[in-house]
Amino acid sequence: MTYTSMETNLDQTFDPNRTSSYEEEFKWLKWIPLILEIVILSIGMMNLLSATGVEDKSLGLWKNQAVSIGLGTVVTLILQFPHYSFLSRLAYLIYIGNMGLLIAVLAFGKSSLGAKRWINLGGFSLQPSELMKLSMVIFLAKYFENKNTTQGMKLTDLIVPSLFVVIPVSFIIVQPDLGTAMIILLVYGSMLLFLKIQPKILLLLSVVAAISLPVVYNYGLKPYQRQRIVTFIDPMSDPKGAGYNSIQSMIAVGSGQLWGKGFKKGTQAHLNFLPEHHTDFIFSVFSEEWGFIGCSVLLLLYGLFIMSGLSVAYQSNDKFASLLAFGIVSIFFWHVFVNMGMVMGMLPIVGVPLPFMSYGGSALLTAMSGVAILVNIANKKYMF
Amino acid sequence: MAFIGNEEQIRFLQERFRFVYGILFIGLGVLLSRMVYLQVFNGDQMRQYAEENRIKRVKIPAPRGMVFDRHGKLLVDNRPAFNVLITPQYLNESGRQKEVLSKLSSLIHLPVIEIEKRLQKSRSQAAFMPVVIKDNLTRDEVAELETWKIDMPGVEVEMAISRSNLSQDVGSNLYGYISKVSQPELPVLNKAASRKYQLDDYVGKSGLEKEFEEQLRGVDGSELVEVDALGRSIEPSKRKDRVLAQAREEPFIPGKNLVLSVDQDLQMAAVRGFGEKNGGLIALDPRNGEVLAMVSRPSFDPADFSRGIEQDLWAKLIADDNHPLRDKTIQDHYSPGSTFKTITAIAALEEGVIDQDTTFNCGGSISLGSRKVHCWKKEGHGSVNVVSALTHSCDVFFYRVAQKLKSVDDIAKYAMHLGLGRKTGIELGREVPGLIPTEAWKQKRFNVPWSPGETLYVAIGQSFVLTTTIQLANAYAALVNGGTLFKPHVVRSIQSEEGKTLKEFTTQVLDKTKLKPETLKLVTDGLWGVVNMPGGTAYSQHIPGMEFAGKTGTVQVVTQKADKIYQKCENLRYAQRHHGVFVGYAPIQNPSIVVAVVAEHACSGSHGAAPIAREVIKTYLQKYYPDLYSDRAIQDRKQLEREKAKRAKTNQGE
Repeated sequence: MTYTSMETNLDQTFDPNRTSSYEEEFKWLKWIPLILEIVILSIGMMNLLSATGVEDKSLGLWKNQAVSIGLGTVVTLILQFPHYSFLSRLAYLIYIGNMGLLIAVLAFGKSSLGAKRWINLGGFSLQPSELMKLSMVIFLAKYFENKNTTQGMKLTDLIVPSLFVVIPVSFIIVQPDLGTAMIILLVYGSMLLFLKIQPKILLLLSVVAAISLPVVYNYGLKPYQRQRIVTFIDPMSDPKGAGYNSIQSMIAVGSGQLWGKGFKKGTQAHLNFLPEHHTDFIFSVFSEEWGFIGCSVLLLLYGLFIMSGLSVAYQSNDKFASLLAFGIVSIFFWHVFVNMGMVMGMLPIVGVPLPFMSYGGSALLTAMSGVAILVNIANKKYMF
Repeated sequence: MAFIGNEEQIRFLQERFRFVYGILFIGLGVLLSRMVYLQVFNGDQMRQYAEENRIKRVKIPAPRGMVFDRHGKLLVDNRPAFNVLITPQYLNESGRQKEVLSKLSSLIHLPVIEIEKRLQKSRSQAAFMPVVIKDNLTRDEVAELETWKIDMPGVEVEMAISRSNLSQDVGSNLYGYISKVSQPELPVLNKAASRKYQLDDYVGKSGLEKEFEEQLRGVDGSELVEVDALGRSIEPSKRKDRVLAQAREEPFIPGKNLVLSVDQDLQMAAVRGFGEKNGGLIALDPRNGEVLAMVSRPSFDPADFSRGIEQDLWAKLIADDNHPLRDKTIQDHYSPGSTFKTITAIAALEEGVIDQDTTFNCGGSISLGSRKVHCWKKEGHGSVNVVSALTHSCDVFFYRVAQKLKSVDDIAKYAMHLGLGRKTGIELGREVPGLIPTEAWKQKRFNVPWSPGETLYVAIGQSFVLTTTIQLANAYAALVNGGTLFKPHVVRSIQSEEGKTLKEFTTQVLDKTKLKPETLKLVTDGLWGVVNMPGGTAYSQHIPGMEFAGKTGTVQVVTQKADKIYQKCENLRYAQRHHGVFVGYAPIQNPSIVVAVVAEHACSGSHGAAPIAREVIKTYLQKYYPDLYSDRAIQDRKQLEREKAKRAKTNQGE
């Protein structure tokens, strides 16, 4: 496609009659990410009812999650009013503020299950590392807005942004919240690839990564983290110890078979074979009870959701907005991929929640804010 | 098309989407094929794994810390208790419900109807959640069940821990009880706790169990148990030789132990002393404030709570007029009655309104305006000084003293210095403060000025004066040790499971009053006379060769009309009978035990309360001063005295 032919296309799109009718007709399309969010959230709440409601008759966790949804809805509404460009103006401030929270967590955060991830804000606890995913994407969108990367980035172009990524990531690793750190790195990598890196640099980086992997494995990881990788490769090496979760989770998914065991009938989850089954392993509860049919419907919904987000990024006429939308979508993609991969025994166990399905207020709030920004971008651009 | 920023760059990015969609579809494709692999191709096998060969993570509750007395005698322990459970799903799947239930019924001696009723009650919960059918099984029942279990699908025996006070209800108000955490309590508990609770965990609800919950509670462990298709754990010998056979446990950490300052022998003596009577007794070491005995009657058996208390038993405990759940030594206040006269005497002597030579004539009553205020002894005591007034507990003497004092605040000052009318601060919950009235207090409370006549009643421990048993003991402890008021404490140390001391609690001084030696001499002389002088109010309780001192008190529960004042108490209805109070100490020189007793509705201090204190003091002296007070030592001493007297006689004869 040549530049001139594009221009003719533009002229056509500028035809006032066509544009307006087209926009009128497909106005609702802009809301698709939100609609899919609501669908998946509903499935998530139903599933959480099964995951937590059997042992806990008072539905304490379920109600907490409902409150988080309420809060997320308020945030979604609020985020529809300003033009998204305020995020561009505040990008560096948001980044600095989120860094402050991360430091605060280390200074006086509260710990749970041996990790220090939460800070107490009056009535509820906040997990700043969750928010950092979004802050990071906003920051990177702003940073690359005015960088021309059409010729591919050189090594020197990568130094500054990498520095800004590595600082919060190292804070998050110290907590330790490896899952979130990994997601941020994956999102950063996706954005770099999206923006284009020079092929030879990409090759160089891959070689360096391949060489440094064994070094990191031997010296960079704690024994329990190494253990997870060993058991990932061979879960039967320690079936009652480190491999336990992985095996039980795979059994849960597989035993769902084609049609599933039915709502609230999953034995793996309810007989406590699966620890943490309402958070990171929520997908195993779902797949046990709804089987392959349910799982593929859920996967389809996630696929459509991600595609609708990508189309927002694609159709935006603002580079900042496009990068921002792409970044947000890649957060969702990696969450889904890593979580499901982990639950189905394809990836080592890392704490990554499944968006809209896992229990957890901060993660839900981050996810809902992400969708709110996508919808804002879709609605605020000058043309469809 | 309007672009913001560089159009060329945006076009460039849009080009990149082909590549992005490529990655997306590869990612989703990988996930989908894994689903197909696990659920469609391997689903049968996975389902079989899930149903047939299970490894279950089972919680192993950590034992709670134990409680010991000052000599290392075990007071509170954990005893295993066995429950039988049914998992409805497994029972139903077996298709032999009738057969299994009738077999079970004969083994645990519970009618089938009753078992079905319990299953029915839990119908709303998921079928694979076990239901408790009977708790606290006997050893024989457990043995029978273990033998027949294999023939009864869905039936399981579970071990639970029962908290038990080894001497049943002795001291239970002090030790307290534990019970299972209920749903509404959970969020409240977890807000404050450093380690989270789960439903059905145990938590201390009263007494030391509650105050030292954090220390007594252990950290639960877990165990991975291989169970078969019916949820029964597989015996290690029958386990298939698989990689799964080796269990990995997370060990539990037992709770820490408490070592108390109480002496179990004194606790038992107190209960012996009470017999059928109700009330509270507390014994303190006046040299350091340690609690030597602390008993409240009636009491309860904590074991009834830890297994989950029966509804009707709970209702009975709550409705009981004698309040078995309340610790009467700290959670109930009473008028101190005549035991308060000691305080009035101290106030008068210290303020200088009387001295050792001051005498008043007691004619059985005095006139107060138009009214007559009576002494407990109708015919009066004649001429009395402060020592004989205490010995005979003459009311009129103290009425006169009250009239001489400037105001009721003079009495209040000394009462408060001795710790009366406020919480002692012992490390137990729900202590009540009691009350020592002052002029300012009455003005504030009733908006009415103090009337001087009321001081008369305060002087003999009636009117508004309210004290707890522990306050009385502590006040007398401060009196006999020369004026140092200690904060009473009952936990000496916290120990690890192996018996290593982790924390020791030291004595704390609350107040120091400088009392004149003459004051102490006169008051203690009076208290000595109460027990050891013929005519003393508790002379009937004296033990030859084993001297102790004290003060009696008899407290009217309901105000009697003038003509009924001298009516025989035993003829009244139980709830209207007087409370008996006694505070005593021993030995006379350098006292090391102070005992305060309130015997509810026991009619008098001398016959109702003093015998209980006497039992404790006797046990104490014989145990701690064997060379002075053992039966043998007393006999030897008597023998020596007789010989001395004989020799004196012989000498006289010469």
